[in-house]
Amino acid sequence: MTRWVQLLALAVLGALGALTAELAGASNAAVLIVLSTALVLGEQFQLRPTGRAALPLSFAVVVVLIRAADPWQFVVVVIVAYAVAVPPRTGGRGLLAMTALYAERLVEALGAAALYTIALDTTADPASEEVVLGALAAAAVVQIVVADLVTYVQHHSIAPLRARGADLALVTSAMLMAVGYGGIAGAGELGLWGPLLFSIPLLAAWYSFELLRSTRRNFWQTIEALGAAPELAGLVRPGHATRVAALAVEMGLELGLTNTEIEQLEMAANLHHLGAVCLDAPTPSQPLDPVAVAEAGSAMLRDSEVLAAAGDIVAAEPLLHRAPESRGQHAAAFAGQILKLASAFDELTEGNDEHAVWALEAIYTGPLYVYDGRVVAALERVLERRGVLPARV
Amino acid sequence: MMPRANAFRVYSALLLTITWCVALLLGVDGQLPAWSSVLLLGALFAFAENASVELPNRSGLSASLMLALAAIVVFHSESPYLGPLLVGAFGCLYIPHLQRREWAKIAFNLANFALSTLAAALVFTLLPFGQQDSTALEVLAAVPTALTYSTTNTVLLAAAVRILTARPIRVIAREMWLGDLQILPFAVLGVVLGQMYLDLDAWLVPLFVAPILIARAAFASYLALREAQEATLSTLIRALEAKDRYTAGHVERVARFAELVGTEFGFRPRRLQRLRYAALMHDIGKLVVPNQILNKPGRLTASEYAEIRKHEVASVELLSRIDFLAPVAPSVQPEAAGSIDGPLEARIILVADAFDAMTSTRAYRKALTQEVAFEELRAKAGTQFDPACVEALIRVVERRGERYGAGHETEVADYAVPPPAGGTGSAGLGDLEAEQEVSK
Repeated sequence: MTRWVQLLALAVLGALGALTAELAGASNAAVLIVLSTALVLGEQFQLRPTGRAALPLSFAVVVVLIRAADPWQFVVVVIVAYAVAVPPRTGGRGLLAMTALYAERLVEALGAAALYTIALDTTADPASEEVVLGALAAAAVVQIVVADLVTYVQHHSIAPLRARGADLALVTSAMLMAVGYGGIAGAGELGLWGPLLFSIPLLAAWYSFELLRSTRRNFWQTIEALGAAPELAGLVRPGHATRVAALAVEMGLELGLTNTEIEQLEMAANLHHLGAVCLDAPTPSQPLDPVAVAEAGSAMLRDSEVLAAAGDIVAAEPLLHRAPESRGQHAAAFAGQILKLASAFDELTEGNDEHAVWALEAIYTGPLYVYDGRVVAALERVLERRGVLPARV
Repeated sequence: MMPRANAFRVYSALLLTITWCVALLLGVDGQLPAWSSVLLLGALFAFAENASVELPNRSGLSASLMLALAAIVVFHSESPYLGPLLVGAFGCLYIPHLQRREWAKIAFNLANFALSTLAAALVFTLLPFGQQDSTALEVLAAVPTALTYSTTNTVLLAAAVRILTARPIRVIAREMWLGDLQILPFAVLGVVLGQMYLDLDAWLVPLFVAPILIARAAFASYLALREAQEATLSTLIRALEAKDRYTAGHVERVARFAELVGTEFGFRPRRLQRLRYAALMHDIGKLVVPNQILNKPGRLTASEYAEIRKHEVASVELLSRIDFLAPVAPSVQPEAAGSIDGPLEARIILVADAFDAMTSTRAYRKALTQEVAFEELRAKAGTQFDPACVEALIRVVERRGERYGAGHETEVADYAVPPPAGGTGSAGLGDLEAEQEVSK
């Protein structure tokens, strides 16, 4: 059974269960069955924006559930629904990973419910719009905060503010879905129609992020495949383009390049030897003329508006270092310097970190006009961080 | 005859006059809406139009339909026609038009959005379930109301495009109307937004708009990245053509034949896109073959031919690195693709590649006629090629009345040594006789 069929079967089962409960006169049970099913399904669908850990849509369902269930019902539903929802998420990663995620989800859900209850209990007018909205927002946000803390403990990284669009979509949708369910002060109550209808924008966001994610993966894999062509032709050492791209990106980040500049640098790094395959002369026994390779490669890239900036970087790569004011294209020239040094370093080390100290010494012994000093310093810092060079005191 | 631009100006002025007259009559009739709601919803309407996303088929995707429906519900009791009309009029505040001072377009948009929203409001009011207080009934009313908005908008816009471009109005209208249908779920959401706005307050609006804006931003990034992907493939094609000047246009033609066959087989858009990308990349392995061999006029030696064949292995290796193309990677290896058990995409590309190879002049022989190429494909059907793919290609080429091969080539390389006239061998044909001869 494919994943989609499994999810559809689950949705149908949930709907049948809810219908049965409704026909038996147990409306509250029907609502809880629908929301449990939604929670299980929501856990399988995640907002996965670039530069941020995934956010499950179940976080929004938890906020609705807080309003729909009494405390004990909430606890039971969350324990049961997450017990069903978590295993498919962690399939293949073992019991420990499954237990850890299950525990995390319970803490997030119970934390959300506790915060919501405290917020309502400690205010004079718990039915007012401000209090209800604030409590709902807190319930949604606390789940994200706990998830972020777990990510930080696991990966020592925290998503920057610019990657938080999905967070905003999730929090606002969760608030609307919960308001739609129970209304505020007796107004605007739509029952289950509320969460159902107000999940549409969230689902639209999920779909857009999924499209973006798969297209991004295809795009970079295409770039990397193109970049690997000179290696398969025996013109460049295997893995050179990938290693240079990784190193150049780290150096670019170290030097404070913007996101767009980093992406252009990464593209250029992957494709900086593409021109070699178009030249008539080169064979594995003959060295490549770096200027001719750069010219041929950049000419192809500059033909396209999207890749033109990467083409400028490739063209600037073989050039000597000059004072910034002597150049027309500052950004491309600087990125070209990063690419040149990353590529030279990889050629000197042949991809072997043990040669790093020797390679760096060789770079330092060259004339000052060959490499930009700022870029060399950035390389050194990156190598220190990687543990390839001993850290300076 | 009146120039198109002038005709459009007259058309816009006429629509604008009608809009003003209707608004005036409604205003005199005493239907004055709450101005704060008009301003808030109108500003959001204008914002939605400015934040619309252009789809690959050049149509726009915007949330303005949702806001039009919300306005219809919000003003339903106090100002059922003038309120929605005024909110729709804000659609003229499209910043690029304002910056370029394109007054005719601004006037047209004002009238178009205002009249479309008015027509939808009329239907909503006339519908029996639009007059009830039940949200469920209002949600039902959203569908015919949205269809009215969409149809009116399409008719007025299609007429404008007809005036400006002279394209058949039915074709334009169909494209636009189908595009609008994609956002029908947002029409339902518009009705709910309107009802919640009445029940609760304006604070609801930012909560509602935020996820839509996030979705819009992600979708716009996706479209930009898709364009970047196309640009990358174009770079690959340029690289291939820079290397192998005797196969100019080959990959694009193969991609087109493959797409035609895929459409003939009823492929869905995503599968068709994958087929196209795989076809565009099927020769990527040629990048590893030395130029002097690829461009050698006349026949190849056995070792040179072996070098050429390396490109198939390299193509598989490179395509396998791209997740969504990996399943069709065998398409670039005739031995694997010829298998009936192989992916259908692989078999389609093999036939498309062979057909283009035979109907194009190559360094080692001149182009064959289309009839000979068809005969050759049919002769190898069942052994080298999938018979269904062969017949689908022949059917689609004949149905379209297209001609390829000797006497019909659009791109022929300037050969240093004229290619021989005989033989059917080609890199795309695998084990045909001429290749055996070459390798001797």
